[in-house]
Amino acid sequence: MRIFRLLLLLLLTGGLPARLPAQAVIEGRVPLPPARPAPVLNQRYEIVSQGGVVGTNPPLAVVYLEGRFPAPTVPAKAVMTQQNLAFVPSLLPVAVGTRVEFPNLDATYHDVFSYSAPKRFDLGRYRAEEQPVPSQVFDVAGLVTLRCDIHEHMRGLILVLATPHFVVTDAAGRFRLGGLPPGRYVLKAWVDSRTTLERPVELQADTVLRVDFP
Amino acid sequence: MKRLLLMAWGLAALAAAGRAAEDGFDRLDAALTGSTAAGGVRARLSGTLDLEGYHFSQPPPGLIVAAGTGLFNPRLTLFLDLQLGGRVYAFVQARADRGFDPSNGPVEGRLDEYALRVTPWADGRVSFQAGKFATVVGNWVRRHGSWEDPFVTAPLPYENLTGMWDVAAVRSAATLLRWAHIRPKSFSGEQFSDNHYRLPLIWGPDYGTGFAASGELGRFNYAAEVKNGALSARPAAWPADEVRWRHPTLSGRLGYRPDERWSLGWSASAGSYLLPVAAPTVAPGRDLDDYREVVLAQDVSFAWHHWQVWAELFTARFQLPVVGDATTTAWYVETKYKFTPQLAGAVRWNQQLFGTVTDSLGVPVPWGYATWRVDVAPSYRFTPHTQLKLQYSLQPDDLGGREFNHTLAAQFTVRF
Repeated sequence: MRIFRLLLLLLLTGGLPARLPAQAVIEGRVPLPPARPAPVLNQRYEIVSQGGVVGTNPPLAVVYLEGRFPAPTVPAKAVMTQQNLAFVPSLLPVAVGTRVEFPNLDATYHDVFSYSAPKRFDLGRYRAEEQPVPSQVFDVAGLVTLRCDIHEHMRGLILVLATPHFVVTDAAGRFRLGGLPPGRYVLKAWVDSRTTLERPVELQADTVLRVDFP
Repeated sequence: MKRLLLMAWGLAALAAAGRAAEDGFDRLDAALTGSTAAGGVRARLSGTLDLEGYHFSQPPPGLIVAAGTGLFNPRLTLFLDLQLGGRVYAFVQARADRGFDPSNGPVEGRLDEYALRVTPWADGRVSFQAGKFATVVGNWVRRHGSWEDPFVTAPLPYENLTGMWDVAAVRSAATLLRWAHIRPKSFSGEQFSDNHYRLPLIWGPDYGTGFAASGELGRFNYAAEVKNGALSARPAAWPADEVRWRHPTLSGRLGYRPDERWSLGWSASAGSYLLPVAAPTVAPGRDLDDYREVVLAQDVSFAWHHWQVWAELFTARFQLPVVGDATTTAWYVETKYKFTPQLAGAVRWNQQLFGTVTDSLGVPVPWGYATWRVDVAPSYRFTPHTQLKLQYSLQPDDLGGREFNHTLAAQFTVRF
């Protein structure tokens, strides 16, 4: 009797393992602006000069699919470190509701803050080993510019997106965005605060769509 | 007073409008940063525009020079930071304002700092620096810029004028007591006509000319400098053409950082405080090197989350052959707290005490009026590039009486 019920359940649910929905992939390229020179540190009143240790931020873009997607059931987490007097990664896309941790991996203090409208905060001065690692929840979509109150050259960007489908390009502008549901959407490429490219796309199951932004 | 409030409101409105320009400032920063193709030589031009207003009762406090009860003091500061490979760093600070210290004089341009620093080893064990630059003594220099300093004015030891002059030597206790306005005692509120001769214990950041060596060894750091003037030397005596190399000043600081929260420092400095023009006035058989300012100082700072504390203690001895040494002790403690990401507040307690000299009757007499000052300064950052600071200071008048000087100051800064 028990075996019969189990077979009936399998029939009703379509059998095991459950079939995953067919997914699409977009790959392509985004033209990136020329690289900026490495920052010059203000060390006028420092005891020790740190000539070549500064991290650099090559220009990158964020490619994301805009549309209506179900909200994630579990809030996401992400990490942006301070290392070699730079934010790593320098550009971090996150979905709305993501908690971002800011561990300090340098031997000196940092004071991360943002005055951007989507998220205004100031973490204060934290030691590297201090627990818990300071974090913030980014619950409003938009661009958040991070700075350090101690090291004026430091810049980091968090792009808060109302979509779970996004990817950062490599330094050549190449990207591959997978696991996408079929349908009609708008594919966007955020290049900088003034430039967001977009292209309407129609995704079909089990296909790879090539999109090169102009 | 009304003008000051009006200016504060105007600047606040200006800052609010400037919020939209935040992205523009970042683009300007990128445009003002350049490098060679391989990145071996990198340069950055930056600066601050300060619009300062003061309202005070006479005489004006500290190093301010003004005839009325108000003063508007705009200041444009340009910085050039230059990195040549990983071992050579250079910087320049140029200013246009109404004098190094706030005054009602005409606008002038100056090269306040320029220096070349070579760091032979990457671990920072030693760096060598030459040029015209801020002193290594104490811990205020690292935050003395208008953007970093929680206050509009400097701590008391850096700006409170004493009875010591640099253009003439003290030949008797009576002379010193007269210059200090102890005998005869001046009336309250009088603006001293000899203020332009008088010296503080340490004059602002002391951008003297000279050489320095500094480095870090584990939790310890050190810095030593040889400069062309004493810590009390006035700005006019800082440039390289002010030749006082026959009477150099040697200063140094030993620092210890048990961890990132704490920084402790011990400083010492010794050098002639008299200008060459004072040579004919020294006691017979003496020369300028017999009139040295010897300073011992301790500093401490603490920072944790949104709270910062700084304190410094100076003990200075002005050597006076024949008369005997004149000593003074000055200290301050200040704290800053960020209440919100943009709103901060700071409080500072300052005090200066004076030793005694023996007058002609053999009676010990203090050679200055003991004084104190309390400073309160709220500040608000409208954007990462615009900031408004307000300051109220209360201090007994110069003559140590029951009258008080009230100073209000506002400073709006645009950083680019």
